[in-house]
Amino acid sequence: MSGQVHIIGMGVISALGETVSANLDALLAERTGIGPIARLDTRHRGYLPAAEVRSENEALAARALPADPRSWTRTALLALIAAREAIAEAGLAPRGQRTGLISATTVGGMDSAELIYPRFFDDDAPDEVLRFLGTHDPGDHSERVARELGIEGCVTTISTACSSSANAIMLGARLIRAGRLDVAVVGGADALSRFTVNGFNSLMILDDRPCTPFDRDRRGLNLGEAAAYLVIASDAYVEAHGVPTLARVSGYANTNDAFHATASSPEGEGAFLAMQGALRRADLAPTAIDHINVHGTGTLNNDASEGRALVRLFGGSPPPFSSTKAFTGHTLGAAGAVEAVFATLAIRQGVMFANLRFTTPLEEAPTLVPVLHTREEQRIRHVLSSSFGFGGNNTSLVISAP
Amino acid sequence: MKGPVHIIGASCISPQDTFDRDGIASVKGYDGHPLHAIAPDLRRYIDPVRGRRMARVSRFGMATALNALERAGVRDPGGIIVGTGLGCMESTERFLDTMIANAEMMVNPTAFIQSTHNAVAGQIALALGSRACNFTYLHKGLSFPSALFDAFVQVRDEGNERVLAGGVDIITDDHFAIQRRSGLLKEEGVGNLGVLEHGGPGAVCGEGAAFFVLDGRPGQGTDVRLVEVDIHYAPDLPDAAAHVRSILQRHMLEPDAIDLVVVGPNGDAMDDPAYGPVMELFPTATVTAFKPLCGEFYTANAFGTWYAWSSLVQGRVHPEVLLRGEAQRPFRRALFYDRFRGCDHSVVIMER
Repeated sequence: MSGQVHIIGMGVISALGETVSANLDALLAERTGIGPIARLDTRHRGYLPAAEVRSENEALAARALPADPRSWTRTALLALIAAREAIAEAGLAPRGQRTGLISATTVGGMDSAELIYPRFFDDDAPDEVLRFLGTHDPGDHSERVARELGIEGCVTTISTACSSSANAIMLGARLIRAGRLDVAVVGGADALSRFTVNGFNSLMILDDRPCTPFDRDRRGLNLGEAAAYLVIASDAYVEAHGVPTLARVSGYANTNDAFHATASSPEGEGAFLAMQGALRRADLAPTAIDHINVHGTGTLNNDASEGRALVRLFGGSPPPFSSTKAFTGHTLGAAGAVEAVFATLAIRQGVMFANLRFTTPLEEAPTLVPVLHTREEQRIRHVLSSSFGFGGNNTSLVISAP
Repeated sequence: MKGPVHIIGASCISPQDTFDRDGIASVKGYDGHPLHAIAPDLRRYIDPVRGRRMARVSRFGMATALNALERAGVRDPGGIIVGTGLGCMESTERFLDTMIANAEMMVNPTAFIQSTHNAVAGQIALALGSRACNFTYLHKGLSFPSALFDAFVQVRDEGNERVLAGGVDIITDDHFAIQRRSGLLKEEGVGNLGVLEHGGPGAVCGEGAAFFVLDGRPGQGTDVRLVEVDIHYAPDLPDAAAHVRSILQRHMLEPDAIDLVVVGPNGDAMDDPAYGPVMELFPTATVTAFKPLCGEFYTANAFGTWYAWSSLVQGRVHPEVLLRGEAQRPFRRALFYDRFRGCDHSVVIMER
């Protein structure tokens, strides 16, 4: 168990744009993807904001070009577009080496399932209903993407709520370090669905304005949809193929808060242990971290708990941090991978992205003031990126310069 | 840093009498399906008040996990890894029903919280106060094998200890109807034990849970070591025998080193013949099926892996599922192979 885990390709589609460069442009320009719900057919349209990918499914299918596009869920289409961008950058030809695909999602094909449920029980259910039978489960999008990309072998799907795709990156990194894979496509996808909008709304943790992460007056999160993938590879692969390393996955840890089914413990024990564990795995002291992409959902509970954990680990003045969820919304199963792409961009471009709409520090951690505006010409070696989820599931990653 | 991996505890809830046992005393036949898992007395593991609020999948998963840990003498697992094909489908259906019926008003958060796919693993952590790494896999027929693979890598390659890994799925009316509609199941009156000879498409449907505790050191009971866990997605695998042979070669094992083969035919006459070449690879081994005992479901291979472990421990398989060779034999090394719907291939090798 040794060696580096190289990031050699990445792809992302989010409300900020449908390519990595479009996302970067929006981040640099401080242009949020959060706005009134325009696409999802929900009663909450007009009341709740969200961060939707603009393209309709037909346009996504025309771009992703899967075989049999009519049976693809939106989650699977988003996944295929981001995964294709990532493997194109990596120049990956899956055959001939041990290639894995580890994807993550929270609700899988729910975007389609909720439209056909419960009509598929009808005896005369039409074909446009029946062709989505069996696309609901989380593994569906992974297998479809694997088939399109020609990846066979270690293909699996992780679903651990909001930390899902951070865990997919972690598993891929572990399997490369353990010598079980040469290269892997890792990340996640989640389309916005009425199921999640209503679920989070019933928990009363959605803000009816654009969210304000880490602000004292925050009122909750906004949901988003996205897909993001990294191609990660072993030392031997990078050497043999002569591909440039964009950044490295140098640290990772997953811990459980063991506190409550949905809430984080007030002192942020799980968050603290995840961040600490990721630093240990990377063999870095807290002072070595140049920038943090916090989980920062904008809920009362998360930001207070995460804020306390940050102060515990880094002291009263941690490295400059921001929550990019003020741009993308909370993209759930995709969030960890979206933010790993942003961490890689931060290192590559020497930028720190803004924590939009912040005005007043947290009561629980009054010294914590995030990055207020895009900072350019920064020297960034190590970024800590955190994703915390329901079920007490906490994951932190360290992304490092090559 | 490649160490041995021992199975130091195992537990199973299934349509057979398996809970808190090393094996099945006498096989149960059913006149129809779905085959429902036999619910054990859960009060030993779950507070009845809390239990009533928990989804059935959580109760089964939790009881099996806690029983496996108890049998292993472990209170503080180094990892909690769950595989489930559908997670809390019953809560998902309940939430969808009220959301649609109430036109997105007055929806109840409880069903939403319980529908989160990692709820079972989270609840196990909560019950144990465990801060250990906590993963949940949902990938069709690779859900449980992915969980076991993760735990295996943790113990073998990464030096972790006492890692809990298991699989759990329950059948709901809706999911049963979806499978019927998709042509995946036989008529409801078809029983379990004759399913492999029944002919025609489809399987009989089942449910259940099986959990294992893996550690670098042997446990109290019969020592069974996990030699390999392999997950392999391939929409078209023309030569499954070559795939299995390549996994044996990783461990410098010849086919005759395997004396027990546990395979996953489920009665689907279109799919089952594909197991033939793998069975032929092991002409001297005892070959047994397991899905007639538990039915087909996403994590039936967790039961199958438990059955392989149980057969090694007990030195016998049941005549009701024996496909070839002697039922009673002091088995030394078992190979498990499942090809869920022809594309999710899992191989587990274990030895005494």
